[in-house]
Amino acid sequence: MFTESIPFLQVVVPILPEIGLLILLLTVLLVDLFTRLVRKRTLGVVTGVGMIVIMLANLFVGFSLVNDASYAGTALGGMIRYDMLALMFRTMVLIAGALTAFISIDTPVVGKQGEYFGILTVATMGLSLMSAAADLMMVFLAVETASISLYILAGFLRDSKLSTEAGLKYYLFGAATAGLFLYGLSLLFGFTGETNIYNLAAPLGEMFAGDDTGAFAVAVALLLLLVGFGFKVAAVPFHFWTPDVYQGAPTSTTAFISTASKAASFALLVRVFDAVWPVEVAVYWTGLLAAMAVITMTLGNLLAIVQKNIKRMLAYSSIAQAGYTLIGVVALTETDLGTAAVAFYMFMYVLTNIAAFTVISVISNTTGTDEIADFAGLSRRSFPLTLAMILALLSLSGVPPLAGFFGKFFLFAAAVDAGYTWLAIIGVLNAIVALYYYLTVVKVMFVDPNEDTRPLVITPAFAAVLWISGVGILLMGVIAAPWWNWALNAAQSITAMAP
Amino acid sequence: MDTLELLVWLIPLPPLLAFLIILLVTRGNKLLSDIVAVAAILGTWGLSLTVFFNAISTEHLGEHPLRAAFTWLPLGESVETSFQIGAMVDPLTAVMLFFVPLTASMIFIYSTGYMATGHYWTEIKGGHGHDDHAGEEGDDHGHEMVVDSAGRNLVRFDATAWKARFMALIALFASGMLLLSVADNLLLLFIGWEIMGFCSYALIGFWHNRVYPNQPKRITPMFAGIKAFMTTRVADVIMLLGIAWLYSYTGTLSFREIMYNEAMLHALESSAFPNIVALSTLTVGGVIGLLLFAGAVGKSAQFPLHTWLPDAMEGPTPVSAMIHAATMVSAGVYMIIRMYPIISTGFHGHGFTPTMQIVAGIGAFTALFSATIAVAQRDIKKVLAYSTISQLGYMVAAVGIGAYVAAAFHLMTHAIFKALLFMGSGSVIHAVEHGEEHAHHHGHHFPIDFDAQDMFNMGGLWKRIPVTAWTFLIGGLALSGFPLVTAGFWSKDEILADAFAHAPAVFVVLAIAAFLTAFYTMRQIGLTFAGEPRTHAAEEATQTDWRMNLPLIILAFFAITAGFVGVHQDFPVLGRLLGENPFHHFVGGALLEHPETLAFSFTPLILSIVIALSGLLVGWLIYVRKPLAAGQEDPLKKLLGPIHTLLENKYYMDELYDWAVIRPSMWFAEKFVYLFIDRGIIDGILHFIARSVEWMAFRNKDFDTHVINGGADQVVEGIGGLSDSFKYVQSGRVQQYLAVAVAGLLMLVGVFVWTLFLR
Repeated sequence: MFTESIPFLQVVVPILPEIGLLILLLTVLLVDLFTRLVRKRTLGVVTGVGMIVIMLANLFVGFSLVNDASYAGTALGGMIRYDMLALMFRTMVLIAGALTAFISIDTPVVGKQGEYFGILTVATMGLSLMSAAADLMMVFLAVETASISLYILAGFLRDSKLSTEAGLKYYLFGAATAGLFLYGLSLLFGFTGETNIYNLAAPLGEMFAGDDTGAFAVAVALLLLLVGFGFKVAAVPFHFWTPDVYQGAPTSTTAFISTASKAASFALLVRVFDAVWPVEVAVYWTGLLAAMAVITMTLGNLLAIVQKNIKRMLAYSSIAQAGYTLIGVVALTETDLGTAAVAFYMFMYVLTNIAAFTVISVISNTTGTDEIADFAGLSRRSFPLTLAMILALLSLSGVPPLAGFFGKFFLFAAAVDAGYTWLAIIGVLNAIVALYYYLTVVKVMFVDPNEDTRPLVITPAFAAVLWISGVGILLMGVIAAPWWNWALNAAQSITAMAP
Repeated sequence: MDTLELLVWLIPLPPLLAFLIILLVTRGNKLLSDIVAVAAILGTWGLSLTVFFNAISTEHLGEHPLRAAFTWLPLGESVETSFQIGAMVDPLTAVMLFFVPLTASMIFIYSTGYMATGHYWTEIKGGHGHDDHAGEEGDDHGHEMVVDSAGRNLVRFDATAWKARFMALIALFASGMLLLSVADNLLLLFIGWEIMGFCSYALIGFWHNRVYPNQPKRITPMFAGIKAFMTTRVADVIMLLGIAWLYSYTGTLSFREIMYNEAMLHALESSAFPNIVALSTLTVGGVIGLLLFAGAVGKSAQFPLHTWLPDAMEGPTPVSAMIHAATMVSAGVYMIIRMYPIISTGFHGHGFTPTMQIVAGIGAFTALFSATIAVAQRDIKKVLAYSTISQLGYMVAAVGIGAYVAAAFHLMTHAIFKALLFMGSGSVIHAVEHGEEHAHHHGHHFPIDFDAQDMFNMGGLWKRIPVTAWTFLIGGLALSGFPLVTAGFWSKDEILADAFAHAPAVFVVLAIAAFLTAFYTMRQIGLTFAGEPRTHAAEEATQTDWRMNLPLIILAFFAITAGFVGVHQDFPVLGRLLGENPFHHFVGGALLEHPETLAFSFTPLILSIVIALSGLLVGWLIYVRKPLAAGQEDPLKKLLGPIHTLLENKYYMDELYDWAVIRPSMWFAEKFVYLFIDRGIIDGILHFIARSVEWMAFRNKDFDTHVINGGADQVVEGIGGLSDSFKYVQSGRVQQYLAVAVAGLLMLVGVFVWTLFLR
């Protein structure tokens, strides 16, 4: 394959974030070795700042080179695809990684462990690869690199039964679905003899059009992939792990799983489903995904209503959010707006959910629990914290002028544009249901009397995260156009330069 | 975008920042909050004046307004289809930029003084005291406690407790008003409109725990806030319908693209409204105009949605001055002046369209209707409230007869002198409240329901508070249209002249209203300032501090001079002296179709002078020449008899609404929706399902007990033997999860096979 020599830069640029993260990983381990326990805050700072530097460098290089013909398109022998979509989702993953690192600094136990930050870096690397993977081998490797790291991060609190349980459950569930996913990938390879996702569509199309057996085989492969993705984005009926893992895992891990992992999974889902399935199959998988979207958002929202634990509530909320996002995936065969809406929605979701989990971290650091009742009278205890939580909750429920409103607006607009008006209507109805449980928390914060008067400590790290995410939520909402244009470019890039 | 156009964007920003800073940082510190708010509004004033002077020195500003827009909401795959929002300064906005920051700045300064002292009665509930807001402490120590007629425990509450929050809210309000003023499209205007609506609600009900002992019928601030919010909401929804229709019809909400676009206006004019016989004369533009006008009816308190404004006087007086006189209520009139090309669709200088007839009719009726009510009010602020409604009616009527330039002129002068009057009345109330405190210390006892706003408790204040008295007199004369030396004369005269020329019926109505206006203004001045004090509180009233006096003096200056920009060019002597009616030429250029200049005529001028002077004279004869003694009844009562009772009770409009709207709604909500639909039907169905399931469950109980439980118990016992630490994981739940997941997969396969092969 490498018959002609490729310039050094063309090898390095497409995997710049991964190289950066590898260097960061080594740095973190070294720092861990040479710092005493009292100064362990350095670890989180190094990880977070490092990731931000990598993100900015990648953005800087990316915007100058991503439309350059000698860099754009598949790279590294077809393993990676360097395009705007990859750039955008890598940015999200790195932001999520950096903010998670900052949250971790003041999260009990994990904040002082070098391994935690090391594994976080590896997980980020896997997710970054997922955002760009273009080959079945790379897809699986990236997914597993990320997943295995996440299992460890979820079960990191060895002394906490809930945490170990979360890690083990996540692992068992993940292993089973990974098996099915891998089986699906191997079927694809078996049918076609190809591993690059951009070469699969033509032979699969022939096979599907051929005879009933062929069509059935393609269908089975499709469904097996769907199980894998369903697990990763937490779509019904592959969502069962979510509440247990979200509740049990350290809050910083939960923030990371619910944002970065979901975003990268959607990037991969969009890329694979757009490239792999021929037009003939599109009708079927869009129908299935539409049904999954409806069930996922409805079930997620209904179950969220009855939760008493804020992390469990946000787990069901994140299931529902995945349901909304699936609407965009459904629409992508008809219009670029679909992919763009998914990208925009995930970007805003990353910022919003991290803001929410940061507030939860601050409060549970004082109270030691994660009950919604802990939020009682928060407006009188810490107004800035209340404000941040309101921003996050209103953005999640889609209230203008926050980012979440425009996220939903674009998703529903894409659905209408693609002819799925009914799906948009169900989405809107669900958004109304969701408003109930989000606003319940607001009510608790303002109306319920507070018995607890212990001070809530917003450390500089927490403050930094809240400022970054809060300003982001406002900015993506009030001035949505630049972000949306970026997302549109990303959406157009996945089809524009297909080899 | 050059610097000047960017400045336009920045105008609403300082107060918004002040709001955030006070809310997040300085809310515990009253002095710092005052400084932040005042600095912000003065900064905005500076910006506005810069833009304003640049605007008035620009030639043909109407054709080439200052405008800075950007793509805001993408609506498709290309930038061209995006929704643009921007800020724009055309002549009309320039007028707003002159008087809005001016009055707002004055009111901010005034507020810092007004909110510095004062007490009111509040109820103590169940030992908890008041809500403790972080950083803001109420001071109710050292005051006596009383029990009122309803058996509630009341204490005197420090009215200044939430001063920082007050400054934050009026800053947000000012930001909303300025956003509305510089908006270049209806959506942004509507956003500003709603921000103001919310602030108005929050500020009317600012003293939300205030109660009036022994005045059970008087509305409390909390309910007044709710009433204002609900009433304007009705109007806003109708307005939103108009905006939506306009957008779906034209594809844009930009003022320039609609108003400065002949093709668009022609399209709005030429398409008839879907054929309902009664409405067949209406065009689409006319109907949209009516819907938008409904918004103004709510916001500018026109009949029949005017009832919220008098009750809004429950808010602190600076709020009444700013929101319910100078700015927010002007927003409704501003909007219909802005939307004049749509409201006047099909009107080309002759033949009023149905929409315009309705607008003019409601405006003129409101002007007269509320002027009559104002005649019989006892509360100093209520008089001003009805007078505001009446003056807004003038402007609305002016728009309805095509005299939108005159409406804009009166909008500007009215904002200035009405803000002056309200602040003056606040100063009076403040002085009387202080007098009450003083007299209290000197051993005079006051009844628990002593009302410091009742003009019959005043009198003789001329000597006690001279600055207030003089400035109030200037404001009052401006309101009455005292000839030549007051701003109100010029603007009111322009409306009357237009009405005289185009719509004689409207002229007659407005002229009667003008007479009443002059009369009740003189009555108010007489009752408040003339004669001897009627209570000890009035006797010991004292002039308040400079923060309240300075704004009065500045506004009094403008209440005299602001009218000289709009003097008709053919007016004897003055017309030549002051140039060619600069206001008319400036604002007239704002629209595509320039308004004709009315020929000068002496008849309406002389009529309006005679009317104003005679009104003032009658008022002077009754209330100033023979000032009322303590305990004396209003001479008007004898004069008017039962009509006075009718007027005093505001034509029983509130009672009518209570009977016709509120009670039926409550009945509907309580009896129909709650008891019938919710409890009866929905709960009934749920109970039915629950009972059925219960019944089935009961029937199946045996099966359950023996077969299912038996099997499950065995499994549980088997698992129970495993090690304790694995208990959580090995409870069988992960397997269950996976089983469901696999079942889901199989189900999907089934669905797929079905759709694929068995369709």
